[in-house]
Amino acid sequence: MKTLIIVPAYNEEKNIPKLVESLNNYPYDFLIVNDCSTDNTKALLVEMKLNHLNLPNNMGLAGVTQMGFKYAYDYGYNAAIVLDGDGQHKPEYIEPVLAKIEEGYDYVVGSRFKEKKQPWNLRMVGSRLIQSLIRIKTGTKVTDPTSGMRAVGNELISEFARSMNFVAEPDALTYALHAGFKVTEVQVEMDDRNDGSSFFSNPFNSMRFMINVCMSILFIQW
Amino acid sequence: MSIKLQLALLLASLLTTVFVTFCVVRFKMNVKYGIVWILWALIILFLSIFPFILIGFSDLLGVQTASNTVFLITIFLAYALSFYLFMKISKQNDEIKNLTYEVAKLSKEIKEKNRNE
Repeated sequence: MKTLIIVPAYNEEKNIPKLVESLNNYPYDFLIVNDCSTDNTKALLVEMKLNHLNLPNNMGLAGVTQMGFKYAYDYGYNAAIVLDGDGQHKPEYIEPVLAKIEEGYDYVVGSRFKEKKQPWNLRMVGSRLIQSLIRIKTGTKVTDPTSGMRAVGNELISEFARSMNFVAEPDALTYALHAGFKVTEVQVEMDDRNDGSSFFSNPFNSMRFMINVCMSILFIQW
Repeated sequence: MSIKLQLALLLASLLTTVFVTFCVVRFKMNVKYGIVWILWALIILFLSIFPFILIGFSDLLGVQTASNTVFLITIFLAYALSFYLFMKISKQNDEIKNLTYEVAKLSKEIKEKNRNE
């Protein structure tokens, strides 16, 4: 199976060398998608001779991930796994997640809470709200709908590469469930960010994300 | 409908038509988009010349004055137009995304080719 690791990166010059070092231990191709970073990411990618795309304008995480799927589609990959460039997603979970794709699943989510208990903080309340919406809509119980670490099989690669509305992770998950694709979750661990600050540390962004996701699950993903 | 409102509508629609035509002719606007505005101005022009249409419409809907019907119609048109713009923006957003990808991919391929030569 031809597999691509998609690494969305925005201002990750500090995290990339470490990540690449561990990715080199795996037999898979990887593609770093530089979302018009304002730091030295671009020069670093050239210098380290890494397989990468430099986007001429900033597309945001969802856009960058889609670029990865487009690339996977164009170059005929059968499976793609998304691994954030900020070092939160640990490469040691690539194998167990991909194993499920090999088993014939179309969409595999690396879930932080499949076997472990989900804590109760503000962010997880948001996550639970999304979980219940997905459950209402598709009848399936998911444990970590906002996880960015996911692997996608052949068919969904081409769908995600072309569609404009699979922006955020929960949207894509809802679509996959609703359209009858085989979806599963695998327990993974995630680190706190090594460096840089999260998009969600701004409460306004969190609020907007929640509204977008809820509306999208309820009204748009069929 | 008062004669003052009628005259104001007449004037506004005439000015709009002239202004839009001017913009299209001076290449500041694509004809395709200018037409929407010219049509809009023509509708208002038509209504100000034949106000009985508006008055009849007001009676039909139970609107008390014809000026309120003018508001109703223009607000609806403004909504429709802004929705149309949202659709355009969203489509262009997607097109920009595709172009961004193509540019990134081509520049990658060119660089790789140059490196191999």
